[in-house]
Amino acid sequence: MTTLRTPALTMDLRGTPCPLNWVKTKLRLEEMAPGAWLEVVVDDGNPARNVPRSAEGEGHRIVVITVTPEGVRVLIEKV
Amino acid sequence: MEQVYFDHAATTPPRPEVIAAVCASLQERWGNPSSLHATGVRALEAVERAREHVAAVIGAQADEMVFTGSGTEADNHALVGASLAAEGRGNHLITSAIEHHAIEQTAEFLGRRGLRITYLPVDCHGLVDPGAVRDAITDHTVLVSIMQANNEVGTLQSIGEIGIICRERGVLFHTDAVQTFGHVRIDVREMHLDLLSLSAHKLYGPKGVGALFVRKGVKLEPYLHGGGQELGRRASTENVPGIVGLGEAARLVRLEMNQEAEQVGALRDRLVRGVLASIADARLTGHPTQRLPNNASFCLRGTDGHALVVALDAEGFAVSSGSACTSGWTRPSHVLLAMGLAPEEAKGSLRVSLGRSNTREEVDRFLQVLPGVVARVREISSAGVR
Repeated sequence: MTTLRTPALTMDLRGTPCPLNWVKTKLRLEEMAPGAWLEVVVDDGNPARNVPRSAEGEGHRIVVITVTPEGVRVLIEKV
Repeated sequence: MEQVYFDHAATTPPRPEVIAAVCASLQERWGNPSSLHATGVRALEAVERAREHVAAVIGAQADEMVFTGSGTEADNHALVGASLAAEGRGNHLITSAIEHHAIEQTAEFLGRRGLRITYLPVDCHGLVDPGAVRDAITDHTVLVSIMQANNEVGTLQSIGEIGIICRERGVLFHTDAVQTFGHVRIDVREMHLDLLSLSAHKLYGPKGVGALFVRKGVKLEPYLHGGGQELGRRASTENVPGIVGLGEAARLVRLEMNQEAEQVGALRDRLVRGVLASIADARLTGHPTQRLPNNASFCLRGTDGHALVVALDAEGFAVSSGSACTSGWTRPSHVLLAMGLAPEEAKGSLRVSLGRSNTREEVDRFLQVLPGVVARVREISSAGVR
């Protein structure tokens, strides 16, 4: 079981279209230290599929994805 | 002989780092940022990184920056976009008598289409009285647009004070920061700015790219139509290399601005002292202290600005004049006339604007050459040759 710790940063990317939401996520990840956690909140649908897929494609780890009525929270660990 | 470049208010030489970034972008990030594939995303990454660098210089959020094709376009977008967005709610625009033509002529354009335009006067130093802004605002005022620094005389306006007044009255406040971006400190929150125009090529970046800061929540009608770029705020495929160049210039200036302003300011002060000491009837124009660190502007009585520029060019110095030569006649600058100078005096304007690579030796050489040039131009002018 994964023990959730507080992400270093949360970005609200609801309303930000693909692939801009992933690009903004990527730029933040580049500034973070390896092992740090970034939480992004994206819209359900394509953003909720594409952002985690792109993050994994670059080697980052998806810690957890939580679907809430306000949006989908994606917790990413930087490699 | 290589020319000594003293015309940085007109444009600046692109920095080597900027040139490298632009070239790399052309080679490696040539995709269309709107494309969904990896090639497009690589270009989009470059654009968004640049947006963050530019925003950071003025204390804005990246999403509040709209890239444009120039500072002039940003000015046009601010005035036209705000006026259109306010249709039915207001029809009054306030600006100053010394704005750049990008504001002045856009205001005139809007005036011909029914907007009421107030041109606020300036004092002898080129300063707008913030109290006059307060007095000019009415219930119909849509926007106040006052430049942060004048491009001819370098006077820095009391932008923070004007911003407070506009915010208190619920009126949008725009500043043309083309001359100040990266040269003096700007904080859009502290200054209560809603809109701000900037340009890359005044900051050692490429030409053909600028940006408009649009505070979150401010409604502007798009200025260009035909695509969803810039989140629908400015149609047109992004000028990726230009934007990357602007971003690199912004990134570098964040590290160096204070030191550069100090260094250039010291050279400028030396030049001003030298000119005033060696040229009879020379007058510094603009505010004596509240001015851009790189600007030295003068009126040299009995001369002609156009002739001074040509004569100094022949001596190896690139400078400029506020006066414009039209069909052989020298037309005095609207800025100097608004500051109360007589047309005869304003005709002899000279602007020397320094930059990061200028040296003390160059300034001293200029000071050696200038008296002879001025004497020759005065001789020609007094002989009635235009």
